[in-house]
Amino acid sequence: MTCAESLRAQAYFDGELDAMSAVAFERHVENCAGCRTLLEDLEHSRSVIRRDLPRGHAPPELRARVMRALDQEAAVRTPQSRGLGQSRGREQSRGWGQSSWRSRTFWAGAFGGIASTAVAAALAFFLLSPPFSNAMLDDVVAAHVRSLMPSHLTDVVSTDQHTVKPWFSGHTDVSPVVADFAQQGYRLVGGRADYLDHQRSAVVVYQHGPHVINVFSWAAGKRSFPENTTRNGYRMAFWRAGDVQYCAVSDTGWNELLELVRLLQNVSGRDSGIS
Amino acid sequence: MLPHLDAAHRFARWLSPSPDDADDVVQEAILRAYRGFDALRGTDVKGWLLAIVRNCHSTARTRQRRRNFVPLPEEHDAQDGHAMIATTPDPESVSIRLDHERTLERLLSALPDEHREVLILREIEDMNYRDIAMITNVPIGTVMSRLARARAALKARWVAAEGAALRDVR
Repeated sequence: MTCAESLRAQAYFDGELDAMSAVAFERHVENCAGCRTLLEDLEHSRSVIRRDLPRGHAPPELRARVMRALDQEAAVRTPQSRGLGQSRGREQSRGWGQSSWRSRTFWAGAFGGIASTAVAAALAFFLLSPPFSNAMLDDVVAAHVRSLMPSHLTDVVSTDQHTVKPWFSGHTDVSPVVADFAQQGYRLVGGRADYLDHQRSAVVVYQHGPHVINVFSWAAGKRSFPENTTRNGYRMAFWRAGDVQYCAVSDTGWNELLELVRLLQNVSGRDSGIS
Repeated sequence: MLPHLDAAHRFARWLSPSPDDADDVVQEAILRAYRGFDALRGTDVKGWLLAIVRNCHSTARTRQRRRNFVPLPEEHDAQDGHAMIATTPDPESVSIRLDHERTLERLLSALPDEHREVLILREIEDMNYRDIAMITNVPIGTVMSRLARARAALKARWVAAEGAALRDVR
């Protein structure tokens, strides 16, 4: 430890030196017994710590407690989205109320009317068709969380929609919309196949800032699709385009998530217009 | 955030002397992270969450101190420091391995907080210097010197403990 280079030795050991400095340090180490011993010590204590220190998992009770707290939190913040296919969330309506020439109460009344119509429509919808099960929601969230584990995110890594789209045709039962929205801040990362609702669903993966957004898609059955909702802290937005049911899942804010939904819906609309 | 719940919990356990406090800190941190998620600009969710865990811990501790609790881990607490990490007794692993674990936990618990946290972040959570600096809110140079001192201190205590154990055997 007496060598003046000991901090550099540590940085080398921790992989913090750039390539040039690392090479220079390796040259130094050849002639410095002190640094060699230090490196061995560092290696030894790291292996002892990593081997012997129990890496406990969070206890299930804590996990359950945290999830409950997140769901409670989410219940307050989830916007009603079904009515117009777009968000009429708290944040948005607040912004519009301030900037518009009409009074806030006008919009509150208008949206109130729309919202209650939407609720009635949704209720009728649910009564007429078998509901989307909660287990299915859990499955989608579980698939999302699993995808965040190291090296589970993508089966095909590409920012090119013309690579990702054809890949799905061989590996999944649906052919979803695939597009890169890097310009708008939603970078296409790749695609993945997941098993959901007894079919091979296609997942398109986007990166938005630090957030991963999984866009799940599967063949839409007769089943109604649920309201946008939040589970365990993940926001889930649902929509349908043609025969394909989509669900975008992420921990971004609602506005960011719904913006991607809007972009994807635009592409769907354009495609169906052409064909 | 949920993929990092284990890391948040581990880190909180090393910061807080009591398991219940650690659980509260984790829950508070995850909720805060959830509320502020839109504000996250970097790419490292784990480091960001651990920073929040640390903040929540400091807040909780300040609150406790104000109430004149003062249950700070002292040397005598460190004697049964392994009690703070609930190790479920597993008959098969009552072995040297468990001894090592206990010794290591005890030694780590006895280190000053600022040494313990950089060691845990570096060796267990595998965070780089930049992230550790962000989490502990000090310059990178301080991270490097703290880490060096922490490693040296742990090694010295480890050697001393091993020496003591050998004397006991004889």
